[in-house]
Amino acid sequence: MKETAIEVRDLCVSYRKLKSYSIKKNLLHLKHEKGDMFEAVKHVSFQVPKGNILGIVGKNGSGKSTLLNAIAGIFAPDSGEIDLKGNSVSLLSIGVGFQRELSGRENVLLSGMLLGFSERDVRERMDEIIEFAELENFIDAPVRTYSKGMYSRLAFSIAVTLETDIMLVDEVLSVGDAKFKKKSLKKMKQLIADDDRTVLIVSHSSETLAELCDKILWLHNGEVRMLGDTQEVLQAYEEYIG
Amino acid sequence: MFRRFIRDMRKYYRYSIVAARSELRAEVANSYLNWLWWVLEPFCFMLIYTFMFGYVFGAKEPYFPVFIFIGISMWDFFNRMVKNSVKIVKNNKAIVSKVYLPKYILVLTKLWVNGFKMIISFAIVIVMMAAYRVPVTWNVLYFVPVLAVLMLLSFGCSCWLMHYGVFVEDLSNVLDIVLRILFYLTGVFYNVRKRIPAPYGAVLTKYNPIAFLLESMRNSLLYGQTPHRKLMLGWLAVSLILCWTGIRKVYRNENSYVKAI
Repeated sequence: MKETAIEVRDLCVSYRKLKSYSIKKNLLHLKHEKGDMFEAVKHVSFQVPKGNILGIVGKNGSGKSTLLNAIAGIFAPDSGEIDLKGNSVSLLSIGVGFQRELSGRENVLLSGMLLGFSERDVRERMDEIIEFAELENFIDAPVRTYSKGMYSRLAFSIAVTLETDIMLVDEVLSVGDAKFKKKSLKKMKQLIADDDRTVLIVSHSSETLAELCDKILWLHNGEVRMLGDTQEVLQAYEEYIG
Repeated sequence: MFRRFIRDMRKYYRYSIVAARSELRAEVANSYLNWLWWVLEPFCFMLIYTFMFGYVFGAKEPYFPVFIFIGISMWDFFNRMVKNSVKIVKNNKAIVSKVYLPKYILVLTKLWVNGFKMIISFAIVIVMMAAYRVPVTWNVLYFVPVLAVLMLLSFGCSCWLMHYGVFVEDLSNVLDIVLRILFYLTGVFYNVRKRIPAPYGAVLTKYNPIAFLLESMRNSLLYGQTPHRKLMLGWLAVSLILCWTGIRKVYRNENSYVKAI
């Protein structure tokens, strides 16, 4: 039995405290909105052995992204536990976080440092990142001048060049034009092939998942509907949506 | 929590410096006259205040323009820190929703950015002091502790405001009003101790930390006087407590910030 890289026990995440509060409304005793409780993830438990690739499927709003966010440490779980056994983790998702006023190069440096790399490490890999993203001269222009494609290519390129132990991939296997898509899928496979890397992929493309994953987790309304062998789960899922 | 703080500071301290540097550079890159504005803006306000209060209202502080310039430099720093912090999580949504970082690191980054601008402002103060031939004594060394207390105080306040800014939508409206009151009670362009009738003037300089720090700075730089050391230690203690409780508050709640924005 291989060691475990991710252990999730009885995880619940809800958006209950979401309602913000306004002094004006409170003063005027306008309608006192009660924050609706919305449980995005309910009592989810699973383990991922080191080096495995777990695909996550489910319809929109079933809690897939919330789950990834919680594992990445961006949300706190309301109850339950997430144990990453000290592994470094990065989240790769659409609409990634760059600071619009800064240049691409500076954003690469800052993102890299937030992923836990030293300034020197990032600078050493800088050329590799720029080359993979095919940005060339644009790298020193402010990110706000980038097209959508350039933006996501850069994000993707940072994530795949600065490798972390655990990668959480949220719907980004289809970035850029056909050529870049092919290249990124190839790079992704190469990364995933590494025996030490644990990967969680959220995707709506059954094809991709069937090709890449060892196991599939099916989330339905925040609960685990099925967890098991890739073929088996995908078949059941397809029957359900079909 | 103390160990967590030390560990996080080790991990993210470089980040905050690099982020601050990038931010300053971006400001300059957009229009290269921008850095000139860091100097020009306080300088113009100094001229306005000198005219209004020096000539129209007949204020009689020695070295009045320098007196005002010190006030503006320090007030601007505090004002910017506090104002930024209310919306800081929202403004950094891109980062915050993508990767974990201790949220007070955002405030720390702003501390470097605004601190740098303040240092530039103080370079002008030194030039002006030379131009006005202000006699310099050893007391100018109090410059360092006064700025240190100001920075800690601003950081502490900002952490608290950042926390409430996430959940209270219209906090910035309230804050604008509070800051305006504080601005007038701080004596950026007049001497609080002399102008506000006794005993309130003295009380205000004692219990309004910004007014106290401004007076201390002016006394040490311009008038060769030693600031009230016990009071300074008192405000240092208050600032440290604010920072500590602020950071604790942020640690306990930061993971729900993303849900609220």
